[in-house]
Amino acid sequence: MSRRARKLGRGVALVGAGMSKFGAFPDKTSRDLFADAFTAMTRSVDKGMDTEDIEALYVGNFSSDLFEGQGHIAPIMADWVGLVPKPATRLEDACASGGVAIREGVIAIASGLYDVVLVGGTEKMTNLPTERVTDTLAAASDTVYEGACGFTFPGLYAAMATAYMARHGASVEHFMKVGIKNHNNGSLNPKAQFNKSIRDLMNSRIEKAKQKGEPVPEWSDELDFLKDPKANPVVAWPMRLFDCSPITDGAACVLLVAEDIAKNFSNDPLYIVGTGQGSDHALHERDDLTSIAAARIAAQQAYEMAGVQPEDIQIAEVHDCFTIAELVAIEDLGFFKHGEGYKATEQGLTARDGSKPINTSGGLKSKGHPVGASGVGQAVEIWHQMRGEAGPRQVPGKDIRLALTHNVGATGGTCVVHIYQRR
Amino acid sequence: MTQPAPASPLFWRFNPEVYRLIGIKCKDCGHISYPRTKICHECGSLNLEEYKLPKKGTVHTYCVNWTPPPTFEPPITPVIIDLEGGGRYQGLMTETSTPEDVKVGSKVEMVLRKVTTDRGLNVYGYKFRLVEEE
Repeated sequence: MSRRARKLGRGVALVGAGMSKFGAFPDKTSRDLFADAFTAMTRSVDKGMDTEDIEALYVGNFSSDLFEGQGHIAPIMADWVGLVPKPATRLEDACASGGVAIREGVIAIASGLYDVVLVGGTEKMTNLPTERVTDTLAAASDTVYEGACGFTFPGLYAAMATAYMARHGASVEHFMKVGIKNHNNGSLNPKAQFNKSIRDLMNSRIEKAKQKGEPVPEWSDELDFLKDPKANPVVAWPMRLFDCSPITDGAACVLLVAEDIAKNFSNDPLYIVGTGQGSDHALHERDDLTSIAAARIAAQQAYEMAGVQPEDIQIAEVHDCFTIAELVAIEDLGFFKHGEGYKATEQGLTARDGSKPINTSGGLKSKGHPVGASGVGQAVEIWHQMRGEAGPRQVPGKDIRLALTHNVGATGGTCVVHIYQRR
Repeated sequence: MTQPAPASPLFWRFNPEVYRLIGIKCKDCGHISYPRTKICHECGSLNLEEYKLPKKGTVHTYCVNWTPPPTFEPPITPVIIDLEGGGRYQGLMTETSTPEDVKVGSKVEMVLRKVTTDRGLNVYGYKFRLVEEE
């Protein structure tokens, strides 16, 4: 099937980005978190902005209906940041809702309809008990045919991990190394839900045991700690607790404007030069369970639009809802060959000081995963890193001109990819 | 949310798929879709025929779920099976002494078993058990 090359009708720039702290906040609703993110975003706009300038709101949210008993949240978010009566629309593609909201904002500006658009994502998850959160998340799978046989989300990604190990010879230790790396990054991110390295967590448990006069665990290093079923119980083999992203409350916002007015807002705007999105069958109807076809398609579209190759991308935020998902992501994006993502991770290539830093924010694993906000949160990290404002977790020795975000819904039913350029 | 109630219209609507294992085979591209569809998932063709899934296959992949949905007793072993002659089926293993008995590539067959209990009622469906290599 032939098709014309896709391009944006006009250029789109990112001129502001901010997020709430990610974590568990019993006293905050999704609208409070959204207002926090909006406020952080407005402070990041170099030359300032006026709420009056914003013409429309797109907000990613997976399931405020089930998590909070609140549907139709887009006008509420608009109200809470002073945007009424501007048009406000909610986008839902499971955990890719935030990335999809950015894409719809980009399309709206590229079409010429709007010049200034607010894009956000918000999710309030921690007021339900864990089993009801799991049940709510399971609504994003094919509930009739996947739920009925006991595949929860950790279970579905665990099945991908089993297939990955059998095909490529990886071991559970390779998954653990993804978690160690992302926690190292998250330990330097004050907005992260778990801003502690695995080593810090291990040492604090040893300290606690000493204080209580209990037997002191003899863990030699992080891997040893992660292999201890008492410290790191199996959730769905081969995925253990520290292979899973947490349940999180949080929100994030970005301000998108037409390229020709970007300098009115920002001294140093970023330009969204590539966007792509794909869909896929239910897990059991896919040829290959060690890869996500929607991600490969989304990446290909984004690379083509931007006129760049995977090797041109200097840093990326990828969707590590489970540790296996990061290995699959860095292969699907073409950063490493199929089946070699685990070796690259083991060699440190994806660490902050490696050749291809991945998830410098801490990723969903350490930063947290408020599902509808996660895709927008990724863009916030790219904003800080590309402008050299990421503080102690700034990637060393790189002038970052091209970066990428990769946001997956469920087990890959949706994937959306964006490429950012700094000029 | 994860399991239609046994008496619900949803459950009975899907009865031919669930108990008689009726899927669809595309006459144009050969793709096997389960559950039944009116349009081929792979190529979009309407030129389809009903296809009864075989009960034998091999384990494509699996996990050992220690935190299953609330109506299941852990650990359970959900599997994705490559069926003989093509097509896939997601289900649960049964009659394994330990989860370690299951491997990628293990030969299995479907048997009718109680799957779970929902609001006091037993829900039956197909599970997989290991078969001896011939």
